[in-house]
Amino acid sequence: MIVRRLEVEERALRSPLGRTSPLLKLVIALAWLVALAFSYDIRPAAVVTLGAVAAGLTLGRITPGRLAAGVAPLWAVAVGIGLTNMLFSGANTDAANTVIALIGPLRLTFAAVVGGVGVAARVVAVVAVGVVFGQTTDPTRLVDSLVQQGRAPERFAYGALAAYQAIPRLADQLGTLRQARRIRGLRSGWHPRMLVGLLVLAIRHGDRLALAMDARGFGSGPRSRYRVVRWARLDAVMALGALGVAALAVLAGR
Amino acid sequence: MAGLDPVAAGGPAVAARVGLVFQDPEGQLVMDRVEDDVAFGLESRGWPPESMRASVVSALGEVGLGGLERRRTARLSGGQQQRLALAGVMAPEPGVLVLDEPTANLDPEGARAFAARLARIRAARTATIVLVEHRVEEAWPLADLVLALGPDGRPIDLGTPDEVLARSREAIEASGTWLPNRPGEGASRPSATAVPALGLTAAPVVAARRVRFAYDGPFVLDGVDLEIRAGERVALVGPNGSGKSTLARLLAGLLRPTGGTVELGGSDPSRLRARDLARVAGFVFQDPEAQFVAATVHDEVLAGLDADDPAVTTAVGELMARLGLPLDAFGDRSPYTLSGGEQRRLSLAPALVRAPSLLVLDEPTFGQDRHGCEALEAILADRVSRGAAVLAATHDERFIASFASRVVRLERGRIVADEAVR
Repeated sequence: MIVRRLEVEERALRSPLGRTSPLLKLVIALAWLVALAFSYDIRPAAVVTLGAVAAGLTLGRITPGRLAAGVAPLWAVAVGIGLTNMLFSGANTDAANTVIALIGPLRLTFAAVVGGVGVAARVVAVVAVGVVFGQTTDPTRLVDSLVQQGRAPERFAYGALAAYQAIPRLADQLGTLRQARRIRGLRSGWHPRMLVGLLVLAIRHGDRLALAMDARGFGSGPRSRYRVVRWARLDAVMALGALGVAALAVLAGR
Repeated sequence: MAGLDPVAAGGPAVAARVGLVFQDPEGQLVMDRVEDDVAFGLESRGWPPESMRASVVSALGEVGLGGLERRRTARLSGGQQQRLALAGVMAPEPGVLVLDEPTANLDPEGARAFAARLARIRAARTATIVLVEHRVEEAWPLADLVLALGPDGRPIDLGTPDEVLARSREAIEASGTWLPNRPGEGASRPSATAVPALGLTAAPVVAARRVRFAYDGPFVLDGVDLEIRAGERVALVGPNGSGKSTLARLLAGLLRPTGGTVELGGSDPSRLRARDLARVAGFVFQDPEAQFVAATVHDEVLAGLDADDPAVTTAVGELMARLGLPLDAFGDRSPYTLSGGEQRRLSLAPALVRAPSLLVLDEPTFGQDRHGCEALEAILADRVSRGAAVLAATHDERFIASFASRVVRLERGRIVADEAVR
C-alpha cells in the first residue's frame, strides 16, 4: 500500500504552538490573511511569512527540512501566479508607466513588476501560514477543538476528519486507475473518466464509514469527551503575539 | 435482538446493544489514532471520561494491541486494524457482537491471531457472538451453533457444528461454502494440468534482476531476483505489507524499478507504450471497482481493443458468455451495479481476452465463493496450457494448494523462499 501522508511530527505536537488551541490557530491564520488584504505592498506579506516561519521553527519546533518540504511544491505556483500577473497586468498598457523591458509585442512596466511580485509574495505568505498550521496541528485535536471550543456541528467536524483521512486512500486509488488504463493500452495521463471512478470509490468509502460510525452509536445522544480541550493561558499569550504580528503587517503596508 | 425489535427500535438504540465488525479494516476506522478510535463508541454513548480511559486500555489489551494507544490507525497492519475495530465495538460492552467476514482481508497469520482473540472472548462469555463467514475453517471450532444458509437465503440446516456436518455436508458444499476437512483428509488438490515440458528450457517470460523499489521512503523491495517461464503458475505469498503488490506491478510494467531491471519478452515493460504493454501483459487488481475504465460492461471489455474487428468481437462475446456475463444481458449495464462476484469476473475479462504471455493477478479469489474460485482456476489452467505464465499474489491457502506449481515467498521486500510444489 502506498501511504503518502503528511504526518505531523510528535515533537511539533508537544511544542507550545502544538499545544495551542487549533481553533485559535485557525482564527489567527485567517486574521493574518485579512491583514494582507489591506495593501498590494510586498512588506505585509513579508512580515506574515517571516512571522509564520519564525513561529513554526521556534515555538512549533518544526524541523527546517520538513517546513521546506511542505512549502516546496507551492513555490512554483507562487512564481507562476506572480509572472502571470506581471505579464498580463493592465499597467503594461498604460502609456504613463515606466517601461523596463519589451518582450516581442509585450511592454513590461515597473508598476506591473511590483504588482506581480506583491501577488507572488502573498501566495508565499498564505502557503507558509498553512504549512505551519498543518505541521503543528493534530487532526484529531483540531476536530475536538472545533466541536468543543468552536461549537461546530459534530457531523460536520467528524465528517471533515474522515475526509482528510481518506486523502491518501484516494491518491492510491487514482494511481491504480492510471495503471488500470495503461495495462489496457489506453492513452496514459489524465482522462475525465477517472473522475467518475474516483467519485464512485469516494462515495462507497463514505457510505461504509457512515455505517461504521452509526454502528458505534454516532448521533444516538449527547456525546461525552475522551479528550477535553480547554482554553489556557498559553492561548492568550499566542493570541497577543499574533495580534502583534498582524499589527506590524498592517503598519508595514502604510 | 437483545430484547428489541431492531427495525422498530431504530439504528441508535440497536447500536447501543450490538457491536458490528465489517470486512474492510480501513473502512471502519473512524479516528486518526488508536485510542481515539476505541473511545469513539464510548463518547457516542456518553460515558464519563474516567471510565472511558479504563475501558480503552482494557479493550486494547483484550485484542492484543496494548501499548499502541498513540499509534496512527493508518500505520497499523490490516490484521491490527481489524483487531482495533473489534476493540472499538467491544469497549462499550455490547450484549451482541456481529462480525461480517472479519478475516477476509487478512493474511493467514492475521486471521489466526484474530480467531485466537475471538476464542478468548467466547471463553469469557460476556457477549453473544454472531459470525458471518463463507470460509469457515477458523470459525468452525468456535461455534456453539451453526446456521447454514443456501444461495436463496433459506436455511439449509441449524444445529451444533457436529450435527450440521453430519447431516448437511453435501448440501452446504454444493451451495459454494468451504467446510473444514474431514479428519484425515488433506487439502483438496483438484486435477490441475501438468506443467508443460517447455517450462524449464525456454527463455523466461519475465525476469527481475536485483530489483529495488521505494515509493517515497524506505525500500519496499530490495534485491529481488525472479524468473518466470511459460507455463508456470506462481503463487506470490507473504504477510500484508511484504511488497507482493509492488512486485506484481513491477513485473507487469506498471511501476518502474528504483534500481535493477525487469525484462518482459525482451524489453523493459515500464518503458513500453501502453498499447504494446497491453499485448504482452495482463493485470487484474485486487479491488474490481478500482479498475473500471468505462461506463458499460460492453465498453469495459472492449476498451483499448478494436471494436470493429469481427475476430475481436467474437472472442469477447465467447469469453463473456463463459464468464457468465453474456453481453446481450450484461452489455449495457454499468460495471458498478454488478454484484461482487460479477464484478470480479468482469475485471478478469480484459486481461483474458488479450491472451498476454504474462498474466498477473492480485488476490484473485478475494470475495469469491467456492464456485467462483473453481471457475477462475479452470480459466487460468486453460491459459497456462496455451503457454501463458501466471503469477498470483495471494493469501488464500486453498487457492495456492490447488493452483500453484511454484510458491515464492516475500518477507520485508526480499524473497525468502522459492520452491516448486508439484
